[in-house]
Amino acid sequence: MDVDTQIAIAEEIEAALAGGPALAVATVTGSGDPPWLEPGDKLLVRADGSRLGGLGHDAADASAVGVADEMRTAFPRIAVETLYVAADGRSTTRRHESRLGDAELMIQLWESPARLIIVGGGHVGLALATFGEQLGFAVTVIDDREDFANRERFPMAEHVLFGEIDEQLDSLVLDQTAYVILVSRGHRQDEIALRHAVVQNPGYLGMIGSQRRTATVLQHLTDEGFDPDALAAVSTPIGLDIGAETPEEIAVSILAEIVMLRRGGTGRRMSAGDR
Amino acid sequence: MVAAIAQRAVNRGKATILSTEIFREIREARSEGEPRVLATVARTRGSTPRKAGATMLLRPDGTFQGTIGGGCGEAEVWQDAMDTMADGMPRLTVVDLTEPVDGDDKICGGIMEVFVERVAQ
Repeated sequence: MDVDTQIAIAEEIEAALAGGPALAVATVTGSGDPPWLEPGDKLLVRADGSRLGGLGHDAADASAVGVADEMRTAFPRIAVETLYVAADGRSTTRRHESRLGDAELMIQLWESPARLIIVGGGHVGLALATFGEQLGFAVTVIDDREDFANRERFPMAEHVLFGEIDEQLDSLVLDQTAYVILVSRGHRQDEIALRHAVVQNPGYLGMIGSQRRTATVLQHLTDEGFDPDALAAVSTPIGLDIGAETPEEIAVSILAEIVMLRRGGTGRRMSAGDR
Repeated sequence: MVAAIAQRAVNRGKATILSTEIFREIREARSEGEPRVLATVARTRGSTPRKAGATMLLRPDGTFQGTIGGGCGEAEVWQDAMDTMADGMPRLTVVDLTEPVDGDDKICGGIMEVFVERVAQ
């Protein structure tokens, strides 16, 4: 693998981390026995399917591209995968299905950090922004009240958007990296926000409120003909049941649910074991 | 613009900080003509301190940024990384944390495969 290609791949990874489109990079970590791949060789696969570099073998490239596509669309996200490949095109990500002598690839997904879109800059919104930023999320706060949507209140946020909630939500791309939390001041605002968020199918969409209140909002949207599956996927009532009472505790409950979904946890107590 | 966004990303969560800073340091080392070796956890089995994707960037003087596991197996990887710094050959280091070492109170119990490669020379 020539140095220029290595440099170009590293630069594209840096750009992806800084907010560019997600991409995958496969690296040869095991040459196979007898050796047929060169350790350190890399293949970069962009979201549009175009490639940079190569593993020096078409079968290996094709296997890596297939896995890269799966990783980019999986939810929860798979950040790193090991792929065992043979020169005849056979490949597997499962170690127990691999065979002695298979070459090994490490495939990594590179993307900008997950985004937290908080609709509502009140007490819960503030706690969410504070803790969410600490957890590594890029935070966006939306509110239609300037007192609750300003830089002084949200210095930790990447974006603070003041204006009509529907317009602000429409201005954002709510893809699988977007975690949208509706914690505005009233169910009317939450309903407007839900309408504009649910159609974009974000990675996570949660709405605060009691079972009764949120059921009413969901019923309105169902009656209007919104996709029932998308509505069923809305996390509401929001969060994990940790007995949260204060705004900060509620934020922990919501973020615990999000981390659980993102990392593929169960929400069960660790001490409860495998029962 | 991209640099400004990256700078902000540095101020965010730890996982992002490390990746972003590590790739910046690789770029800067290249432009200075200085070598760097990157160690990446490629695969884990059982209980390991860091999961797959964790990285450590080693400098010629032996200092590094990032961590692939603190006390648990890092010394072994560090030695291999120094070897790669010297000969330029990539290595796949298998760190077995299931065997207790004398005088060690490690509580890590898994196996970690760490890929070590020279990323700047």
